Amino acid sequence: MGKILSPTVHLFVTLAWMIVAYWMIFLYAPQELTMGEVQRIFYIHAPSGWVAGTAYCIVFLGSVVYLWKRSPLADDLAHAAGEVGFIFCSGLLVTGPLWAKPVWGIWWTWDARLTLSFVLWLLFVSYLMLRSYVSSPGRAATLAAVVGIIGFVDVPIDYMAIRWWRTQHPQPVIAGGEGSGLDPRMFLTFIVCVGAFHCLFSYLLIQRLRLARARRELSAIRRALAIPPSED
Amino acid sequence: MVNKYLLLAFSALWLIFFLYAWSLSRRQAFLRKELEELKNKVGRGRPSDSRPS
Repeated sequence: MGKILSPTVHLFVTLAWMIVAYWMIFLYAPQELTMGEVQRIFYIHAPSGWVAGTAYCIVFLGSVVYLWKRSPLADDLAHAAGEVGFIFCSGLLVTGPLWAKPVWGIWWTWDARLTLSFVLWLLFVSYLMLRSYVSSPGRAATLAAVVGIIGFVDVPIDYMAIRWWRTQHPQPVIAGGEGSGLDPRMFLTFIVCVGAFHCLFSYLLIQRLRLARARRELSAIRRALAIPPSED
Repeated sequence: MVNKYLLLAFSALWLIFFLYAWSLSRRQAFLRKELEELKNKVGRGRPSDSRPS
């Protein structure tokens, strides 16, 4: 992808897409009648959740390929997606309570959707901690891949939680069946925001992959020179 | 007036993104520097290393 889209162009596209998304959030999308201004948090909260889900899917796929083929690239991809996904999942957990407080009167409740989203965040944390604390790189990659695969079960359940159970979290407005839906302008704004967040995610993911590649290159040179690895 | 929760949510999210992007660029710069130093070391060592003993 780096060859098709240079980092500068990718960053420029991301910024331009974000500007359009922000224009739509604040000037194009109509104000929601019951929640008012605060409902606009939806346009950054839900896309953060979608990106966190996408990131964990990449962790899962990268982990499967790593265990199957022992491909360092698959491992780097899973690791990078785990780190960037953690950032978006943290964004999801920060913006959620800031929307919940003025609307529900509480910051947090342990309903199915919120609990499963918190579990997803813990899975990202566990995945990254495993990678940091296991000293042997090969063993860390294998253990992390196992966590990446087992933890994936949380993603579809988290997505379906508001469809299967009655939750404090609002029922789905996208693909939620009869009686659900959004105003067309709100829907378009949401789609543009999901695209903009995925564009930002792909930019950060590629940058994180470059870092992993540079680290591997550095390790290879160190091995060739018989220099011990530095503490970074 | 902008709702304080709305302002907080947007600010917090972008703070998280910027902190991560900053940490990423710092790590990249550190590695790039170290890589250059090592490449130079390898480059300097090569002529004498390649000589047959």
